[in-house]
Amino acid sequence: MSDPPASEAAPPAVPAPAEKKISPAELKKQKAAEKQARRAQQKAEPPAHQQQGPATKQKDSKQPPKDDRSRPLPVRRRASQSNVPVPKDVKKEPKKEVKQVGLFFSHLYSQPRQHSVVGASKDVHPAILALGLQYSSYVICGSTARMVAMLLAFKAVIESYQTPVGTSLARHLTSHHLSPQIDFLRSCRPLSISMGNAIRWLKDIIIKIDPSTPEAEAKREMLEEIDNFIRDRVTAAGQLISGYAVKKIEAGDVILTYGSSSIVEQSILRAHREGIPFSVIVVDSKPLFEGKQLSRKLANHGLKVRYYLITGASHAVKDATKVFLGAHAMMSNGRLYSRVGAALVSMLASSQSLPVIVLCESVKFTERVALDSIVGNEVAPAEELLSESEREALLPLKPLLPQSLRKGDEVEDTKPETGDVLKWIEGSENLQMLQVLYDVTPAEYIDMVITEYGSLPPSSVPVVHRLSTNT
Amino acid sequence: MDLETPTAENPHGSPAPPAFDIVSTYRTILESDPDLTMPVAAIEALVEAIAHSTVSTVAETLDLLERHTAVLKKSIPNPISLSAGTDLFQRYLVTTLNRPASLNLGPDDDFRAIRNHLLSNGRLFVERAKASREKIASFGKHFIRDGATVLTNGGSRVVGALLRRAAESSHMRFRVIYVLSPSTSTDSREGHQIVADLRSHNVPVATIPDSAVAYSLGKVDMVIVGAEGVVENGGIISRMGTYQMGLLAKSKGKPFYVVAESHKFVRLYPLSQFDLPIEQKVLDFTVSVVDKGVSSEPNDEGIADMNAEEVRKCSGNTAQDSVDFTPPDLISGIITESGVLTPSAVSEELIKIWF
Repeated sequence: MSDPPASEAAPPAVPAPAEKKISPAELKKQKAAEKQARRAQQKAEPPAHQQQGPATKQKDSKQPPKDDRSRPLPVRRRASQSNVPVPKDVKKEPKKEVKQVGLFFSHLYSQPRQHSVVGASKDVHPAILALGLQYSSYVICGSTARMVAMLLAFKAVIESYQTPVGTSLARHLTSHHLSPQIDFLRSCRPLSISMGNAIRWLKDIIIKIDPSTPEAEAKREMLEEIDNFIRDRVTAAGQLISGYAVKKIEAGDVILTYGSSSIVEQSILRAHREGIPFSVIVVDSKPLFEGKQLSRKLANHGLKVRYYLITGASHAVKDATKVFLGAHAMMSNGRLYSRVGAALVSMLASSQSLPVIVLCESVKFTERVALDSIVGNEVAPAEELLSESEREALLPLKPLLPQSLRKGDEVEDTKPETGDVLKWIEGSENLQMLQVLYDVTPAEYIDMVITEYGSLPPSSVPVVHRLSTNT
Repeated sequence: MDLETPTAENPHGSPAPPAFDIVSTYRTILESDPDLTMPVAAIEALVEAIAHSTVSTVAETLDLLERHTAVLKKSIPNPISLSAGTDLFQRYLVTTLNRPASLNLGPDDDFRAIRNHLLSNGRLFVERAKASREKIASFGKHFIRDGATVLTNGGSRVVGALLRRAAESSHMRFRVIYVLSPSTSTDSREGHQIVADLRSHNVPVATIPDSAVAYSLGKVDMVIVGAEGVVENGGIISRMGTYQMGLLAKSKGKPFYVVAESHKFVRLYPLSQFDLPIEQKVLDFTVSVVDKGVSSEPNDEGIADMNAEEVRKCSGNTAQDSVDFTPPDLISGIITESGVLTPSAVSEELIKIWF
């Protein structure tokens, strides 16, 4: 894997500086020829090149793709207009892709997740540092909670912000002060759709500040705007949505939900407070087990809760009468982007012709579309898949390991450690763990989306998105 | 409490608004014009109510409207279709009253002028709603191809208008299979009328009972039905039996068109048949409560007959004017006066009105 891309990348790059002066048309021709040559080469040795496929393609397209996930492939930029010396890259590349990761999810492995504040830029505000670590350890989890926490941290950032001399607040704050914060948060965990929407909104607010406003006043305005945003788009929206959702819960219903969603929880509790007799089934899955907390909370409020793992979902749907799902995002083609497993649950439910109802604030709507769960997704560290006890259970299997993996350990041969299990997996050639966090549910499995604007069919998501962003 | 407030605030002793009988007004309007649908009649009655009242502020108008609407809704067994009209009117009022400047009344916001504007516009709305049926007919007749066989049901006037219009265009030959219930409700009476009308227009019509829908579907090219209300997800609420027609048509791959004026769009989102905001006693589970002392053969039969009689009386009464919900995935298109919509476009239209 490591060798072919380097040798393959070299030929197009070497002639480039020499032929700098030729016309664009000729350049184009040249590239076409190169492409053909490369294709032929690829055909000659197909298996080794599978992984390099997307990278070579990008080389040919003139503009660099906007998708920043493909950034770690340095091959692309060099080919089109390159002054970078080739040998340097050749050295770099083998280091980068020691092992082919993630099969067709490989494009999602942009950077390893940050678990500490080491290496963070000095511009990053302490509140953001703390928040980032809370993100990466799932202490703050769920797209609404993450967005609200981020906005609150930004409030702290803005409060302690002082415009440097010679710059204006509107320009400096967004591009120089806020972006390192956002970058740090992104390095801890990829931004959620709602966070992206909130950031876009906040930047818009900041840019629109009149430069003549005194700094103190501008800051106060911003803080107020953030408070209003949280109140309007989250708190009030949540109340409206739970109000609509409660109307859909009837006496005797069995509400099935998957994982844990704050808005579903709010709605269920509200219906319970209003005295509607119904019960709840929580379907959950590893590794986050978010449903455990939800079931415990609901049970503590006196609701009758049944807890299933996703392996029992087909039984769970047989007893349910309605399915309530939370959302990470609603795509513009009406698809639901939610915790991995939600698609499975909703498909099972609609095969039983149960109504599948998605509760989602309009701040989570996005103009993007998703056709599958592969192109856009979030890959979490794979080691989360194996809990500590599971790792321990695997330890006795050590003698069965292939020789190549065992060698290093046997030298020191102390008592086995659970961390070793991960090393075995990392070291093995044919096994890798994959943990994706989200999946996409096609619109035809969703009967209704409840937002603060009311209930809609999934096909109306773009209409409401337009509505909520324009006003 | 609601009833008292306006009178208390009216020191000049004008007649209290509730004195106006909205229900009887509604009934007379509905009876006076056979072409009128329920939502339009409701709007007309509400316009009438405002005209008769002495309201002088925006809040009072809305309050009055709300009260009358509630009374009206309570007075009839199935207010879904009616509420489409009242909601629409209320929405229209709210938007106009909140933006009096847009009415070009000049700087001085004279409420009387606003009210007059409302009244005239309300009447205009009613006129337009009446005209929409013809427009739908002109849109919809293109869906009927030469030589086609159309399956339809009930006594929907807009379907009748469409078929008549298609029959009047000379070059078209088509046949109609009409599902008619044998009962003597107003609905089936209207159905008979349409059948007679079509036959006089030289359109071959076959009438069949509900149970023969699946049987005749092989000969059918398209299904056209009317609707009482078009709900937010693009499904329709229509007379009992429409849902099964939709299911059958879908299973046989026949296009299923709905003809409805856009004032029948109602802000409602039923998830299933039993999620409608009305009480229907279609399913009435009973056991026979007879003393088992005598159990001779003829007697038994007699009991069975009596039971059957009872059931017929019971569910016959309710099933006649009961409705069912046809989900959007069974519907190929909704023909309205503003164009032919897919079911998913309904919610967009409703959002446009409400936001």
